[in-house]
Amino acid sequence: MFIMLFWILTASALVWSLVRDKKRTLSALGMARGMMRNMVGEIIGILMAIGLLLTLIPTSAIQEVLGGNQVSLATILSAVVGGITLIPAFVAFSLAGSLVDAGASLVPITAFLTTLTMVGFVTFPLEKKAFGLRFSLYRNGLSFVMALLIALGMGVLL
Amino acid sequence: MILRFVKKQKILSVMVLVYLTLWLLNLPMVMEALNHTGYFIKEMVEIMPVIFVLTALVEAWVPRKAIENSFGDHTGFMGMVRALILGSLSAGPIYAAFPVCRTLLKKGASVGNVVVILSAWAVIKVPMLANEAKFLGLPFMAIRWLLTVASIFLMAWWINRRIQAKAILDLTADDPVTAYGILSIQTDTCIGCGVCVRLEPDIFSLEEGKISLKSRPKEDLRERLQVVALRCPAKTIQVT
Repeated sequence: MFIMLFWILTASALVWSLVRDKKRTLSALGMARGMMRNMVGEIIGILMAIGLLLTLIPTSAIQEVLGGNQVSLATILSAVVGGITLIPAFVAFSLAGSLVDAGASLVPITAFLTTLTMVGFVTFPLEKKAFGLRFSLYRNGLSFVMALLIALGMGVLL
Repeated sequence: MILRFVKKQKILSVMVLVYLTLWLLNLPMVMEALNHTGYFIKEMVEIMPVIFVLTALVEAWVPRKAIENSFGDHTGFMGMVRALILGSLSAGPIYAAFPVCRTLLKKGASVGNVVVILSAWAVIKVPMLANEAKFLGLPFMAIRWLLTVASIFLMAWWINRRIQAKAILDLTADDPVTAYGILSIQTDTCIGCGVCVRLEPDIFSLEEGKISLKSRPKEDLRERLQVVALRCPAKTIQVT
């Protein structure tokens, strides 16, 4: 639904651009193509890695980590698992929801949900290629720390 | 051919090899992995064409001044808020944000604001928030949103003070352009015609049909190299 909207908006913008200045549009598309060509092979490789990872770490294992008895340990482990894996958001939220209903602590679940999206261990090579090593290290490292702080904050506030 | 592909696509090649090995050892496992991968590839195919066109359109039409004024270094808190809105309205996984953000950076957005866009793109998309509220309740979603936004801003401010946009752009050219003293060479575009080798055999050579440097040219060769740059049909060689 949301993505459909994007397709329609972008397609109209492209038509507008082509009408206004065909040459300029085509040369910009050519540049973007170079950028994409460099990325696509790597993205597919990474997606294959994620697919394998999700097979090796089944949902039940993630569930176990998230619902761990020792909250502080479970929080750190959850943050690590969230940073490594990449799960579709709606799967992650329904998983988290069912765990909360079953009485699990909110703190590790928050840590997991936050690192899941903000920290990208598997997409790191792509990020490094686009922004360099230092930027990617800083962003991912800080995001990890922040996720732990956010989780702690949730524990205090809720 | 194959060797060059493997060299360029290291991750993909390794993964194909792993999958092939597993296919011999444990077929059901490969099928499950492919099933997961298929989902992500579908997600990629859905969003990357849009990103591709969008990046090109920004490149072609959005003036540098506009990006500088909206997301540049001196836009302060409002710049961060605009970056947050832009990131939140996006679609697709985080890697889709990389090309867009690079283009913005090139056009004068600050490093901090790029951090905000990237992080917001990853964590706080509107459809995702609705989903979170549905499964975990509105208070959970709202408080996590507030804390996340605060930490993204803090992180952006911190990184912005430590990394310069120029440093990032120099490090990571679109098509690997490599700078050698006064020369910059975009190996990808080389068609292996050999004009450069014929003109300056002490500096250039061809390896596997692509340009390669024998020595790092100094300033005193500038004029001679400009002649080479002019003759290079693919504009692979540039004198800076």
